Formats: sequence, C-alpha cells, structure tokens
Amino acid sequence: MVRFVLSRALKAVLTVWIAITSTFFLLRLLPGDPTTLMVEGDMTPEMQAALLKTYGLDRPLWEQYVSYLRELVQGNLGISFRQIQPVTDIILDRLPWTLLLAGSAFVLTVAVGIPIGVTAAVNRGKWLDRALQGFGISANALFVPSVAILLLVFFGAQLGWFPIGGAIDPDTRGVGAYLSLAHHLVLPVLSLILVQLGPYALTLRTNMIEVLGEDYIRAAQARGLSARRRVWKHGLRNAILPALTLMGLQLGTLVGGAVLTETVFAYPGVGRLIYEAVGQQDYPVIQGAFIMLAVTVVVANALTDMLYAVLNPRIRL
Amino acid sequence: MSAPVLTEQAIPPVAPATTKRSSWYAYLRQPTVALSVLVLLVMVLMAVFAPLIADEPSGAGPDVLQPPSGAHWFGTDDLGQDIFAQVVWGTRTSLVIGLAASLIAIVLGTAIGLAAAYFRPIDAVATVITDVMLALPTLPLMIMLAAVVSPSVGTLTLIIGFFAWPEVARLIRSQGLVISAMPYIDGARVLGASGWRIVTREILPAVVSLMIVSVLLTASRAVISEAGLSFLGLGDPDAWSWGRILLNAQRSGTIAIAWWQTLFPSLAILLLVLAATLAGLRFNDTRDPRRNGG
Repeated sequence: MVRFVLSRALKAVLTVWIAITSTFFLLRLLPGDPTTLMVEGDMTPEMQAALLKTYGLDRPLWEQYVSYLRELVQGNLGISFRQIQPVTDIILDRLPWTLLLAGSAFVLTVAVGIPIGVTAAVNRGKWLDRALQGFGISANALFVPSVAILLLVFFGAQLGWFPIGGAIDPDTRGVGAYLSLAHHLVLPVLSLILVQLGPYALTLRTNMIEVLGEDYIRAAQARGLSARRRVWKHGLRNAILPALTLMGLQLGTLVGGAVLTETVFAYPGVGRLIYEAVGQQDYPVIQGAFIMLAVTVVVANALTDMLYAVLNPRIRL
Repeated sequence: MSAPVLTEQAIPPVAPATTKRSSWYAYLRQPTVALSVLVLLVMVLMAVFAPLIADEPSGAGPDVLQPPSGAHWFGTDDLGQDIFAQVVWGTRTSLVIGLAASLIAIVLGTAIGLAAAYFRPIDAVATVITDVMLALPTLPLMIMLAAVVSPSVGTLTLIIGFFAWPEVARLIRSQGLVISAMPYIDGARVLGASGWRIVTREILPAVVSLMIVSVLLTASRAVISEAGLSFLGLGDPDAWSWGRILLNAQRSGTIAIAWWQTLFPSLAILLLVLAATLAGLRFNDTRDPRRNGG
C-alpha cells in the first residue's frame, strides 16, 4: 500500500514538474514574451530596465528558471502585473470556489450516472438505453458556454428560479448563507453535469453489459441470487472501475468546463479570474492559475487512482 | 467539451474484406451519415462563399438589438450588426482552424504513435510525454499560450493543433502495436526491410482508416477549443468566430435579453460538431467487420 501510494505520488510530482518546466521555456521562447506585454509604450528606457530588474527578467534564462522553481516550491507564483499583490494570494482566494463547483459536478455526475448507466444496461434496447446512447454521443458536441447561457436565460432570467450570477448573497447569515450558496451553485453545476453525464453513463453501460455476460454472474444466477443483488452488488463493483478511470481522465476537461461556466455566471472562481486576467493581460496570474489548476487536476487524478486500487477486488494492497 | 467517444477497445485491428466502393456506398447510405455529410457540405459551402451570402459585418448599424425578421434572419446585436452575417463569416474561422489544427494533430500524433508502436526505445519516452499531456487541463494551457502570443487564426491553429495530438498518438499507437505483432511484419523484417520502410510501407497503410476517423473527431474538438478560446477573449480580433459572437453578448450584457444573439452561434457549433462526430463514429462502425458480419 505504502509503495503504491509513494510511486503514484512520485508520478504526480513528475507530471507537474514536466508541465512547469516545458511551459516556462515555451513561454519565454515564443515571439511575444512577457517583457513586451508588460512594458507600456510610453516608458523611458531607464524605467523599462528598472521594471525588468524588479521582476528579474533581465537575468539569463537558466538563472530565471532556477529561481522560479525555488520560489515555486515555497509557494510563490510571482507578483500580479495589475493588482500589486502576490499571485498565490489572489488565486488561493478564488480556488475554493472552483473546487466547490467542479467537485460538486464530479460527485453528482457519478451519483446520477451510475443508476442511469446500470438501468440502461439491464434494459438494453429500451427507451432509456436509446436515449442514453443519443445523449452520450451528442454530449460531445455540447459547448459549455452555450449550455450555461441556455440555462441562465431560461431558469435564471425567464423563470427567475435561480440567480443569474455570483456565488452567494452577501446579506445572508448562518443557514441562510448555505442555502444561498447552494441556490447560486445549481445552474453552474447543472451546466457541467449536462456535458459530463452522457459519456460517463454510456461508459458505465458498456462495461455493465460486458460484466453481466461474465461466467461469475451466471454462476451467481445459478446459486439463486436475486437479479437485484447480481446487478447492483456483483456486477456494478466490477463495471464501476473503468468508469472511475474515465472520470479521472476527464478531470482536465471538467476544469476547462468550469473555467467557461464561471465566466458565464460571473462565479468568483479561478476560471473567472483567468477571464479577467486575459482582459488585463495580467500574465503572471494566467500562468499561476494554469499551474494551480494543473496541480489540482494531477492530485485529484492520483487520488482517483488510489481509490481505484482500494475498490478493485483483484488488487489486495 | 471533449469526451473520449472512441475508446481503444472499439478499434478493430483488421480491415473489412469488402471492396472499397461498396463499403463507401454502405457508409453513405445510412441516414445519419447522409444527414451529417449534408450538414458538413452546407457548412463548407457557407465558408467558401461567405462574401456572396452576406457582407462582412463591421461598424455600427441603425437596427440595434432587433429580434429575427425578414431583413435580419438571425436578428441584430447591440451595435446593430447582423447576426446571420456574423454566423456565416464565423463558419470560415471555425472550419479553417478545425481542419488545419486537426491536420497538425494527425501528422504529429501518427508520427509519434507509429514510432512508439514499432521502436521500443521511443515508446518509453513517447508514452511518458503523452501521459503528461493527457493529464493536464488543456484549456487553461491553451489560454496561457494564446494570451502571450497575439492571437490570430494562424497562432490559434498551431496552439490547438499542438495540444490535440496526444489523443491521436494514443489511438494510433494502440493499433500500431497490434499490427507490429502480426506475422507479415516479421516477414518484412526477415526480408531485410529497414525500420523506416516497415513503418511507412507496412504499418502506415493499416492505420489510414483510423486516421480518417481521427481527422473528423479531432476537428470537432478543435472547433470546440477555438470557440472556447474566442469566448474568453483570445480569438483572432480580425476574424469573426462563433465564440466571439457569444463573447459580445456576454460583454454587452445582452445575454438575458437577446436570445437570438446566443442561440444561433450555439446551434452552429452544435450542428457542425455533431455532424463531424457522427460521420466519424459511423465510419469507424462501417470498418468494423464484427458489425458487418464479415
């Protein structure tokens, strides 16, 4: 167990390091480097030089990389160009909102996807199964902002059931604050679920059909186990594993979807921060946001893999 | 966004025994395929003949925020520009970026996938790189690069194409591994064929149909990526794009009032991507001998 966790953690660290290193050099080799973005046209050469020195951009590339890594390990992502404030503070302020949004979407997709996938597999060829297949394929063509805008216009603006933006009503206290939080979360989470659910439930259905044809399921039937027990206890336990892996692989897509959803709903997470930073060309914030999201996705993926190992009846750790 | 609709298990390692013409006919005769191909054709025609269909939208007009009418089929935005013209011109950007980015991804992905499948030492390195790239959140990565270079149709194509190859490489590698293990590859090696010759002359032809499927599926994802970047304000400022129409609605705060400004570009994205995805998936099914009873 310890060995598995350690090797998986090492792989995660390696992934993050490769991502940080390659993007660091790629960004500095590209034509429009950060210095030209940051330095305004009407500055004197002396002011430009002083500014570059402040941010350490006048030193050799290799030195910049080493000091960048050293700072990064200490949790320092640099200083925002526009709001003179550490990038780490700005992002940590916003990250909990994105984790709440993406995390809720992840959990609900799994919770709703399992019963739909299993029911479709058991009732193969019936209406639910056909609907799921159509939905699963067309979900690939759903553009997150389109879905989010549709929900916002219909359930937010037209019917007025849900707020059309923000994450919480600042005037609420206690239980009311939690209710307001949940109320604001409904439409953004729903946008993400609609895009994620189809492929997930479809994968589960395919796995389930395969598992239900296995010998041990027939053996369970011969032993007189009820259909419900065969499907939900013996079958699901094996069918759920590949679906879990898929969910882990989809985490990057989920975070990308969260960036777009937050933009539509003015949800105060990292995605909305990226949208604002793009408008202000606040380059350290954009890079810092990418690193934080990459770390989040890689860590969540590693945790999913560990969960897989715990759940898999064939692996005894 | 993208979902792995095509899994590695779904790929048959053997080409169907039917003749080329009859399998194309069987493919196009399916109603979903015929409809998808029709949608794709209409989109291509719209992109090519955009200047003949509508004037390029620019400047401000007198009809502000008009709902759809005979004069403005898709209504107008807060500047009085015609949404129909914007959607038609946006087709160009989406198709050009979608196709060009997908070609870059296919060339890179096929080269890396085949090299990994046949040359053992390359496989270890290629697999690590592919896994790392697949593990990262692609959209934030593309945002970061697009924000630094000044976004244009060219740079967006490069960025999207460069980050779309890992999924292609994974598909091509997994089929390439199956083919590398086949007896005729051993035969070629015994006859003294070089590694380069075996990969390009013996293995490559066996993955061509998988490449065709990948072009369609990768292009769909590229269209979605381009729309996402444009929606975040990282599109080409000189070219109309479906994502940019949605961004304009978002910026001017007309989302809740002018439904036509968001509905029509959204439908365009949905139709194009759905048609390309269905055409690709059905093509994959047609090649599958298990489904054709052969």
